[in-house]
Amino acid sequence: MISKQPPIVAHGLVRHFGTVKAVDGVDLEVHDGEIFGFLGPNGAGKSTVIRMLTTLLKPTSGSAQVAGFDVVTQANDVRRNIGVALQDAAIDPLMTGNELLHLQAVLYGLPVSQVKPRADELLERVGLIGAADRRVGTYSGGMRRRLDLALSLIHQPTVLFLDEPTTGLDPMSRITLWEEVRRLNNEGTTVLLTTQYLEEADQLADRVAIIDHGKIVKEGTPTELKAAVGAPTLLISVPATQALTARDVLARFGELRTTAEGSLGVGLAGGAGAVTDVVRALDEAGIKVQHLELNEPSLDDVFAESTGYRLEGASTAMSDAGGPAPNAKNGPRKGRRK
Amino acid sequence: MTAAVFSTPMTPAPPVQTRGLWWSQTVAMSKRSVIAIVRQPALVIPSLIFPLFFAALGTSSFGRAINLPNFPKVDNFLDFSLAGSVVQGVLFGSVTGGAALATDIEQGFFDRLLATPTSRVSILVGRLAGAALFGAFQALFFILVLLPFGVRIAAGVPGVIIIVICGGLTGMAIGGFTAAMALKTGSSEAVQGSFPLLFIALFFSSAFFPRQTMQGAYKVIANINPVSHLVEGIRGLVTDGFTAGHVAAALLVPTAIGVVSITLAMRTLYSRLAS
Repeated sequence: MISKQPPIVAHGLVRHFGTVKAVDGVDLEVHDGEIFGFLGPNGAGKSTVIRMLTTLLKPTSGSAQVAGFDVVTQANDVRRNIGVALQDAAIDPLMTGNELLHLQAVLYGLPVSQVKPRADELLERVGLIGAADRRVGTYSGGMRRRLDLALSLIHQPTVLFLDEPTTGLDPMSRITLWEEVRRLNNEGTTVLLTTQYLEEADQLADRVAIIDHGKIVKEGTPTELKAAVGAPTLLISVPATQALTARDVLARFGELRTTAEGSLGVGLAGGAGAVTDVVRALDEAGIKVQHLELNEPSLDDVFAESTGYRLEGASTAMSDAGGPAPNAKNGPRKGRRK
Repeated sequence: MTAAVFSTPMTPAPPVQTRGLWWSQTVAMSKRSVIAIVRQPALVIPSLIFPLFFAALGTSSFGRAINLPNFPKVDNFLDFSLAGSVVQGVLFGSVTGGAALATDIEQGFFDRLLATPTSRVSILVGRLAGAALFGAFQALFFILVLLPFGVRIAAGVPGVIIIVICGGLTGMAIGGFTAAMALKTGSSEAVQGSFPLLFIALFFSSAFFPRQTMQGAYKVIANINPVSHLVEGIRGLVTDGFTAGHVAAALLVPTAIGVVSITLAMRTLYSRLAS
């Protein structure tokens, strides 16, 4: 029996691997019918959280309930009610899409009479009818991901876990997958997805949790999180020899912000109207501006403010200027990517 | 690439069956291991070819050894070597099943299965059932290929049936060890690395020469080596006839080995799942 409690609840989840604390006290509540995005770089702990929530890994301490069942003591009930598509769980390349769907259907206990109609329905839904009898080894990355999604839906789960569903996909495949996730969500499925793509979290998620070093450092709707950052970011590029001076000039107009390597950023306290003042000041200081852009707060700004480094690109604003980012908690760190 | 068109709304989930679920899951998993064997001929053909090569080599090199004092009474050397070929083939074939399980672990398919409500035992038993079917097939294959070259099964058709069952049981028994190794290490390379160990187990047995002609430490090892007893159960059926003793040896020795290996594999499975 599925209780009325939120479909995903976690309290103080901790997971150690030897001396490494991969997840360090995660509290989580995902509401019914929500798309919840877990945003973080590789190694931040998001996959470990997913593995605990999907019963693949036992927490070192803490507890979690998924679809109303405890992930440790009622693991099999959890498994019956969730769909799981893990980024690092390969699909058997020797089998065809059709065979895999049939296997999955049997594993979930679908009645024999329902297996074929169900498999056909899902193959059509993810646009793989034409490739159903081809071995998965011949599929493109996008086709595999779509099959993966179909496999996770065979038993119509109430909660769907997608671990980096679009990593490595081309933009077209990514958008197609997003559409399908939205659609599933509209049909009532609660979705928890992990991603290292800011745009994905921004586009898809109703709420986002930013995870770093095994801890949730920020949580809220993308709009709330971006609004909390406040001022828009002015980004400039200058010759390396002028970076220190430019930094001093920018600091007069607001808080310096973490940026990708090779550029400097400032949160313009005076808003967009202050851009002309900044340009004038830079000109007066004899600084040759090579590039200038004004960005409304993005999730990357939220991320940078929460973690001290950027997910997109790398490093810190001060890499040219020889100092750490002003809000860096853990020191400068390269944006980690696969 | 072409964008997929997601146009079909989902129909409500069908009811889930629970009666006999373990059995259907195990059958589905067995089917998958058979598919893996059939679709990777390059992996399994060596375990079919090499034993035949050894049989041919043995017959041409040691054909007259059957006249040695103490050599068991046989019509020809090929009759003597058939049992060795069957066990050799099944032993080597079993590495393939274990390596496939390790590959599942390495590549994450194992996790995919664990995330479903599949019985954990089904995952293992399905794999072992595949090894058993392949072992049975190998036994039949060696008999059929060597028949035209003069092999005669003294125990007749019932003997062939027992040998085929013995091949299946042996496949499952040795598959238990390779599965345990796969579950312990999660590395297909480590499982493949057990190949030389199987070779040693085979050479320090009566697979190629009778224990009656052995001497010293070699004989002591061959006497306690379960592979000797595995081979001799089959050999008795080929050279001597359908007797209760030979049938019991052909069936009970692999069963006993299987009890040990599958217990080990189960313990390793649960130890992996507990982490």
